Amino acid sequence: MIRSWFEWVDAMPSSIAIRESVFGYPYLLTSHAVSMALFAGLIIMMDLRLLGWAFKRTPLSQVQRQLFPWQMFTMVTSSITGAILLYGQPLRYYGKVFFWTKMVLMVFAGLNALYFHYTTYKTVAAWDTTDRPPFGAKLAGALSIALWFGVVIFGRITAYNWMTFSR
Amino acid sequence: MLSFFQYLESLKFGAGSEYTVAFINVSHLLCLVVFIGAVLVVDLRLLGSGMKRQPLSEVVRAANPWMLGGFVGMAITGSLQVVATPMKAYFSDQFWLKMELLIVAVILAVVVRLLTASRSEAPAWGKPAGLVSILLWSFIAVQGRLIGLLQ
Repeated sequence: MIRSWFEWVDAMPSSIAIRESVFGYPYLLTSHAVSMALFAGLIIMMDLRLLGWAFKRTPLSQVQRQLFPWQMFTMVTSSITGAILLYGQPLRYYGKVFFWTKMVLMVFAGLNALYFHYTTYKTVAAWDTTDRPPFGAKLAGALSIALWFGVVIFGRITAYNWMTFSR
Repeated sequence: MLSFFQYLESLKFGAGSEYTVAFINVSHLLCLVVFIGAVLVVDLRLLGSGMKRQPLSEVVRAANPWMLGGFVGMAITGSLQVVATPMKAYFSDQFWLKMELLIVAVILAVVVRLLTASRSEAPAWGKPAGLVSILLWSFIAVQGRLIGLLQ
């Protein structure tokens, strides 16, 4: 079923136009890579604070609140460029194990952030200024770094043709 | 210069293994993420955004070890990448453009940090400096990706 959606997009004139454009792929790919780096970099700066490894003198809630708009902005830019990349070559990505692995890791990274936000972060007032955050905060930070690093790794190796099961 | 790159080629480091090159490349990218995050918090602060409730000097001091660590990691993995594929680098316009811009960006980063080490508020030149820094590093990253793409 998913395959038929990808085939449907693949046949759209706008998808073909992106695919056949000479500069489309390099422009999209480099914009995606840069916005990803800016996004992941800002996420990891916050994760390092969660671990108590960086910005120790700054309350966590302030790091979170002040970086959040930029995290969202860069997330939107990388999502848009990523979505257009996928839209232009749906069948290329459909057949890639690395692409799907990346998607799964992104879902887990999102769930990790949401879970932290609705559990450990509720008690932030009690440990906001300490440089030794509770275990739940450290775990969320470590998981976030691991998952987003995974997203970066699998995103990069999606460009190789290893473990491609169709096309 | 060409003979130096030919010498590197003769070392055959990582030769024949696409996986070695990919491993180095991915490591370079992970260092980049840490580096650019640490650079960006300072640049955003210079622009009067991001962690603006903290003194500038405090943001700079907190970000410095991660910026330096990320840079050292990128320098090591980047050098390995050149040693693994020297001819590709030598004949790539993007590679040389990246190296030239890198020199400018490093000088800017060092000067900005020297001048802000004891300032709590961003100076008037902070906005252009922060913006130029973000654009420079982004453009360097684009050239880096293009080395692998345009061959």
